[in-house]
Amino acid sequence: MALVDRYLQAVKFWLPRKQKDDIIAELSEDLRSQIEDQEAELGRKLTDTEVEPILKRCGSPMAVAERYLPQRSLIGPALFPIYSVVIRSLLVYFLLPWLLLWLGITIFSPDFRADHPGAALFASLEPWWLACTYSLFFNTLVFALLDRSQARSHLVNDWSPRALPSERDHNRISRGATLFELTITVATLALWVQFDTFHRVFHIFGVTITLSSHWPYFFWGLVVLTLAGIGISGLHLSTARWTRLSASLRLVIDGCAWGLIYCLFRANLLQSLSGSDVSSTEAAQLVNSLNLWMASSAVWVLVIGILVLVFDVRRILRVGGTA
Amino acid sequence: MSPSISADIHNDDRFENLRQELRRGSLPLAVLAALRTEHYGYTLRKTLADHGMAIDEGTLYPLLRRLETQGLLVSQWREEDKRNKRFYRLSPDGKLILKQLLIEWKNIRTSLEDIF
Repeated sequence: MALVDRYLQAVKFWLPRKQKDDIIAELSEDLRSQIEDQEAELGRKLTDTEVEPILKRCGSPMAVAERYLPQRSLIGPALFPIYSVVIRSLLVYFLLPWLLLWLGITIFSPDFRADHPGAALFASLEPWWLACTYSLFFNTLVFALLDRSQARSHLVNDWSPRALPSERDHNRISRGATLFELTITVATLALWVQFDTFHRVFHIFGVTITLSSHWPYFFWGLVVLTLAGIGISGLHLSTARWTRLSASLRLVIDGCAWGLIYCLFRANLLQSLSGSDVSSTEAAQLVNSLNLWMASSAVWVLVIGILVLVFDVRRILRVGGTA
Repeated sequence: MSPSISADIHNDDRFENLRQELRRGSLPLAVLAALRTEHYGYTLRKTLADHGMAIDEGTLYPLLRRLETQGLLVSQWREEDKRNKRFYRLSPDGKLILKQLLIEWKNIRTSLEDIF
């Protein structure tokens, strides 16, 4: 019976203190009755090897004890769906983009890799780890406390079918939003053209800035793409929803626009600077620094552009899925 | 249905889960009904098993405890065959509830038979 006693001792460890002896006495009686029945059939004492299957069938000590305990959870089924949405949103809209941005910079920026050699590269991800840990911990803590407070009953029980949000249509675009977008784009285009930006030479605060000979290509490219964007907005004014055509056009326009901006950042756009207060040496150094800064920032443009394109592709798939 | 297909279904986890769920729902009723006669745990298990409702000790004893806490059962430690055993039987409340549950059970059975 040593095996049975060891088993009962293991079960006892996990039981609530007040019920330990009572439960163990009853379980012990059942196990000993089973063993006695088998011994009566065989006409001899059972060996440990024969007792073992009886205990195995009864279940692991922790599992047996767990059945006597009240059902417990950190966040109960009433609040868990809300908790799950919050955590998923946190992951998808905050932590994942941050990680992708870090990955993009690590892959595409040699300067960043040079500044963070070896383990320092992973150390640069430390703020992300901390954000993960703190956000998950505090959200879980808040929901666990909410689950144990009276607030739960208000959240779960105080509801009305009329107060539920209206049916969501991801492909719908409000005409107000389209008008706002259209106004901003037209105003930007007007400013762009009004400031005479298709010339290569600018005079600002007594400084003359000369851009490289590539500038007109970028300028006209951006004008054409902005006009195309205005065309899509016009289309949305009449349809008021994303269609496969408008979503595909948006992908093409965004792809061209971000590609163009990326090239613009890497094109050593500034050719020269001159002004009465700036010496030619200082001006040359400034031009060089600004061009270098733009070239090193191009990676950010690339990463943001890729993110925009991912959203555009997702939109096409969504429109296709509901078409 | 051929025997091989039938055997496959019985080995199917989905069937097994649903079967257990179905039996688990009926267990309190079976236990209450069996305790119209006084039993201690082990003999109650044997009685249920003899009627095709085998139940392991890890499920039965917590269930007995819950039913007792709800006031449906009363228990008493008593010596029998030189060993202390805990005997259970229906309380007056338990008898009333069992009567209502049996009516409910018959209604469910009738409804299901209508659906089948």
